[in-house]
Amino acid sequence: MLPVLTQTMHRRRGSLAWWALAVAGMCGLLSVAYPTVRDNHELDSTFANLPPGVEALLGLSGGNALTSPAGYLDSQFFANILPIMLLVFAVGLAAWTVAGDEAAGSLELLLANPVSRVRVALARFAALVCLLAVLAAVCVLALAALAPSTGLNHDLTVSRLAAATVAATLLALAFAAVAFAVGAATGSRPAALAAAAGLAVTGYVLEGLAQQVPALHPIRLVDPWHWLLASDPIRHGLSWQAWAPPLIATVALVAAGLPRLAHRDLR
Amino acid sequence: MSADPLIAGHRLTKRFGRLTAVSDLTLEVAGGQIVGFLGPNGAGKTTTIRMLMGFLRPTGGAATVAGAPAGHIGVRGRIGYLPGDLRVDPAMTATQLLSWYGRLRGRHDQRRVDELTGRLGLDPSRPFGALSKGNRQKVGIVQALCHDPDVLILDEPTTGLDPLVQREFLTLIGEAAGRGAAVLFSSHVLPEVERVATRVAIIRAGRLVTTSTVDDLLDRARRRMELRFAEPVPAGVFDGVPGVAAAEVHDRTALLAVDGPVGPAMRAATDAGTLLRVNPAGDDLEDLFVSLYQHSDQPIEVS
Repeated sequence: MLPVLTQTMHRRRGSLAWWALAVAGMCGLLSVAYPTVRDNHELDSTFANLPPGVEALLGLSGGNALTSPAGYLDSQFFANILPIMLLVFAVGLAAWTVAGDEAAGSLELLLANPVSRVRVALARFAALVCLLAVLAAVCVLALAALAPSTGLNHDLTVSRLAAATVAATLLALAFAAVAFAVGAATGSRPAALAAAAGLAVTGYVLEGLAQQVPALHPIRLVDPWHWLLASDPIRHGLSWQAWAPPLIATVALVAAGLPRLAHRDLR
Repeated sequence: MSADPLIAGHRLTKRFGRLTAVSDLTLEVAGGQIVGFLGPNGAGKTTTIRMLMGFLRPTGGAATVAGAPAGHIGVRGRIGYLPGDLRVDPAMTATQLLSWYGRLRGRHDQRRVDELTGRLGLDPSRPFGALSKGNRQKVGIVQALCHDPDVLILDEPTTGLDPLVQREFLTLIGEAAGRGAAVLFSSHVLPEVERVATRVAIIRAGRLVTTSTVDDLLDRARRRMELRFAEPVPAGVFDGVPGVAAAEVHDRTALLAVDGPVGPAMRAATDAGTLLRVNPAGDDLEDLFVSLYQHSDQPIEVS
C-alpha cells in the first residue's frame, strides 16, 4: 500500500506546490487588504441589514462585524474562498484516484501487479488526505505569520485560525469522498466530478435558502456547508458539530464506493 | 494437453449488454508452451485476455492462471502482462516505473532490467510521454518480462516494433518458454506467430474457431498451385476430384485451389497428361486464415 501512497504524493508534488502558492498568496492578499477594511467603518453599517441567507453564506450570522478580524476572514476567506479552493483541489484529485486513472488506461497495468484494487484506491485517498493536510498547514502558517503585521491577529489566536482552516478542509474532504465513491463504483470520471460539483453547489445554495425557508431545515443536517458555516469555528473553535459530521460522511462514502470497485469490470 | 496448464480458460463467455464479445471459449497453455492467439480486430482477443487477468468478470465460465482464479492477488507477482493499449503516466520514466513495480512485486532485479533494456535498445531514463510508440512498447515488454514470470499474457506485443526488435522480442519469449513459462500472445498477423508458437488458437466473432499446431494448420490449408503440362489437357479433367475447390484449365496450364491433401489432384494431373512442373502460388497459411476468419459457420475440426 505504501508504494502506491508515496508514488501518488511524488506524482502530485508539482501541482501541490502551485496550490500551496495560491493559498499562501490568498493569505497574503487578505493580510495586505485588511487595514483598509478595518478603518472603513461604513462597511459595518452597509452590511448590517443583509438578508439572513447572505449573512450566513458570508459567515456573519454569528454577529461578527465585517471589520473585525474574525468577521473579515470569515466573510472573505473561510466561508467561501478557502473551502472552494480546497474543494476544487480535492475533488479533482479524488476523481482521478480510480476513475481518472482508469479512463487514462494506466490503472490496468498497475493492477496486473500484486496489489488489490481496494488497496490502490485507499492508498490514493490517503495520499489525498496528506496533500490536503499540507495545503491546510500552509494556510495556517501563512496567516499566522502575516497577521501580526496588519493587526489581523487582534482577538484571534492561531488555534482559531487552525480551527477555521480544519473545518474548511473537512468540507473539501467530504465532497472529495463523493467524487471518490462515485468514481470507484462507476469508473466514470465525468460522473464523479459531476456528482461532487453538483452536490457542492446545491449544498451551498441550500444553506443560503434555508435561512428563509424553514421547510429546508431538515435537509441542512446532511449539508457539509451547514456543518461548516453554522458551527462558526473562527469564533467558537472546532466544535464536534464542525468535525464529526464531515469525518463520518467521508468514511462512510469512501467505504460505500469500495465493494463495487472490488467486483466490477474495469473500463 | 498438459495435466496442469498455467493458463486455463474454461467455457469463458463475456456479454456487454446485448453484445456477446466472447462465447464459450476454452483455452489452455501449459508451462513451456507458446500459444499464438489470432483473430481479426474486434474478434474478442483483448476481452479474453482481460478476463484471464481478472480485469473483466466473465459472464459465464471461469479462468485459472498460475493455479489460482483469474486476478487472484497471490499469484499476480508470477504473471507478466502487456496490455494491447499500453498507458503509463507520461511523466514517469521506465526506471521509475520498473522500480515502483519492483516494490509492489517485492522483487526488483536491476541486472535483469539492464539486460532487457540493452537487448531491446531502450533508454530507460526518458519519460514515457517523450518516447515513440515503439519505445513505449519496449517499456511494456520490459515490465512484463523483468521479474521472470511463470505466465506471460501479452496483447499484441509486437505493435510498433521494428523487425529487428520484433525478432529480439520473439527470442525473449522463446527463452521464457525455455525455462518453463506459459506464454499466450495475441496478434492479428500470422508470420510472427508462425515463427515461435507451439500452437495457434484462432478466434473469430468471439468464438474459438480452431486450436492446432502450425504444422496441422498447414496440412489443412488451401493450396494454390500452377500445373504445367507437355501437351494441352481437357478442361474438365479436375472435375469431381476430392479436395479440388477450384480449377481453371487453359491449354497446357492448370490453376488449382486444393483443400487438404494434394494426392488425389496430383494423381488426376498425372493421368491427364505429362506433368512438367508444379508451381506453388500464394501464402497458404494466410489463405487458411482468411477462410477461418470469414466462415465461422463451418468450423474446422479441433485437433
